[in-house]
Amino acid sequence: MKVYLKYFLPLFLFAASFKMPGQDALHSQFDYAKSLYDKEDYYDAVTEFKRLLFFDAGNKFGYTANEYIGMSYKMGGKFSDAIRYFVYSEINAANFDELFTAKINIVRANILRRTTDRALDLLDSMHVQKKFSSKTGDVYYWKGWAYIFADRWDKAAESFSKTDSSRTLEELCRKVERERYSVPFAEIISHFIPGAGQFYTGHYLSGLLSLGWNVLWGYLTISAFNAGRTFDGVMIANFLWLRFYNGNLQNSSKFAEEENIKISNRALNYLQYNYSGTKP
Amino acid sequence: MRKAFLIVLLIFSTSLPQDKKPGDSLNLFSPPNIKKFADYLFCQGDYLRAAGEYENYLKTNYNDTVEFKIAVSLCSMDKYSEAAGRFADIPPASALYQLSKLEFLKTYFLKGSLTEYRAKYSAAGIKSGFRYSNEAESLYNFSYLLNDGPLPDKNKFLASYMGSDRDSAIKFYNWKEDPPHKSALAAALMSAVIPGLGKFYTHEYWDGVFAFLSTGILGYLSYSDFKADHNFRGWLFAGLAAGFYGGNIYGSAASAQLFNAKVNFDFTNMLKNFLSLRNYFIPNINFCR
Repeated sequence: MKVYLKYFLPLFLFAASFKMPGQDALHSQFDYAKSLYDKEDYYDAVTEFKRLLFFDAGNKFGYTANEYIGMSYKMGGKFSDAIRYFVYSEINAANFDELFTAKINIVRANILRRTTDRALDLLDSMHVQKKFSSKTGDVYYWKGWAYIFADRWDKAAESFSKTDSSRTLEELCRKVERERYSVPFAEIISHFIPGAGQFYTGHYLSGLLSLGWNVLWGYLTISAFNAGRTFDGVMIANFLWLRFYNGNLQNSSKFAEEENIKISNRALNYLQYNYSGTKP
Repeated sequence: MRKAFLIVLLIFSTSLPQDKKPGDSLNLFSPPNIKKFADYLFCQGDYLRAAGEYENYLKTNYNDTVEFKIAVSLCSMDKYSEAAGRFADIPPASALYQLSKLEFLKTYFLKGSLTEYRAKYSAAGIKSGFRYSNEAESLYNFSYLLNDGPLPDKNKFLASYMGSDRDSAIKFYNWKEDPPHKSALAAALMSAVIPGLGKFYTHEYWDGVFAFLSTGILGYLSYSDFKADHNFRGWLFAGLAAGFYGGNIYGSAASAQLFNAKVNFDFTNMLKNFLSLRNYFIPNINFCR
C-alpha cells in the first residue's frame, strides 16, 4: 500500500493541480457571456454564448448556454429564436430539473408569442407524463397564464384554482370574467330589438341610430306590403332593412368584442406592473 | 509497480503538451478562432454577428475573402449602401475582384434606384476585358423590365441570354412590351352604357350580374312607383338605382385599376423570383461547404 502511495499520490496531486487550459477558457467565456446577460446587453450575450457553444467541443455548456441564448432572445422580443434555443437546451438537459425548466421556458416563450394553443398542447403533454407528476402545480400555473393570453379568463381561473399559491391570479381572472360582455348575448338581444346590443355595451348613440334606421325601413317595408306593392316591399327589405338589420347585429358583436379587449388589456396591464409572481 | 508508474507517467507526459499545443485554439479571441467562429455564424445565416466578427478579424489581419463575406453579409441584411462600399473595397489584385464588381452592381440593382444602378453600370467599364461581362449585361437588361421607360430593341435585349434564360427573357420582354392591362376608361364607359358590363370586362362576373340586376330592378321599381303615384317610394328607388348606377361606373374603373395593379404585381414578383433563383446571373460561390 505504501508503495502505491509513494508513486501514485504525488502523481495524483500533480494531475489534480493541473488546470486544463481549454476548460479554463470556456469557464471564463461563460462568466464573460453571463456578465453581459446580467448587464442586459443581450445582443452581445447571445454572441458570446454562441462563441462558447462553438468552441465547447465536449458540449459541457450545451444546456446552460442555449438556455441563456434563449432567454436573451426572449428579452429582445425574438420569441421564435428564443424557442429554438430553448429546444436546444431541452435536448441537452442532463437531469429532470433541467428538462422541466427547458420545457417550461418553451411554454413561456410560446405564451408571449401568443401561440397559446402550442403552449397548451405542450402543457397537456406534460400533464399526462408520469415523470412530471410532481410538477402538476407548475403545469396548471402555466396553463393559467396560457389561457390568460388566449383571452379565456374562465379557463385561466379554473387552472389557477388547481394550484396552491395562485389565489390572487384566480380572483383576478374571475373578476375579469365577470366584467366581460357576452358577445352572443349582445348579438341575440339585437336580433329582437335592433340597437339593444349597443345599449348593453354602453354605446347608446349607436344603439339609438340603429333602432331608428331599422324602424324607418321596417315601416316602409310593411307599408309597401299593405299597399299591395309586394315587390316594392321585398326590395326595400332586401336593399335597406336587411342591410341595416345585419349592420346592427355586426355592430353589437363588434362593440362587445372591443369592450372585452379593453377589459383584458386593463387586466394584462395590471398583471405586468403590479403582479410580483412569476410571469411568462 | 514501476512499470505501471512509468506507463501512467508516459501517458501524462504525452497528453499534457497536446493540451497546450493548440494553444491559440483555446484562446477564443485569437484571430484564427475569431475567423472560425465568424465563418460558423455566416453559414448559420447570422449575418449581423458574422459581419461583426469578421470586422474584428480584419483589425489584425487583412483578408480579401473576409472583406467579401462582410459585404455579402451586409447585402443579405439589405444594407445595400454599406455592402456596395465593401464590395468596392476589394482590391484589383484579389481573385474576388471581378466577382465583387458584379456583386457591387447587384447591390445597386437591389437598392431599387435603377437610374443610379445604370449610372454605376456605365461607370464600371464592364465591356472592356471583364470576365463576367455577359452576366453583368444580363442583369442590366432586366433593369428595363422593372420600370416604365422605353424598352431596348428586342434583339439587343436578348443577345446576352442563352438556353432557358433566353426563353424566360423572351417571355418577360413580350409581357413588358404588351402587358395584359385593362383600360379604366373603357371599363367605366362600358358600365355607363350597360350597368355591370365594365365588371365583366375586368373579369368580375358576379359583380357584373349583380350590378346589372340591381340597377335594372331598382330603376324599374322607381318607374313603376311614380306611375302608380307612390312618389316617396318612387324617389327612394330612383335614389337607390342612381346610387347603384354611379357606384358601378366608379367600381368598374377602380376594378380595372386593381386588375392592372395585380397584373403588375404578379409580373414584378415573377421577375424578382426568377432573378433571385438565378442569383442575379452571378456565379455562385459556396463558402459553407
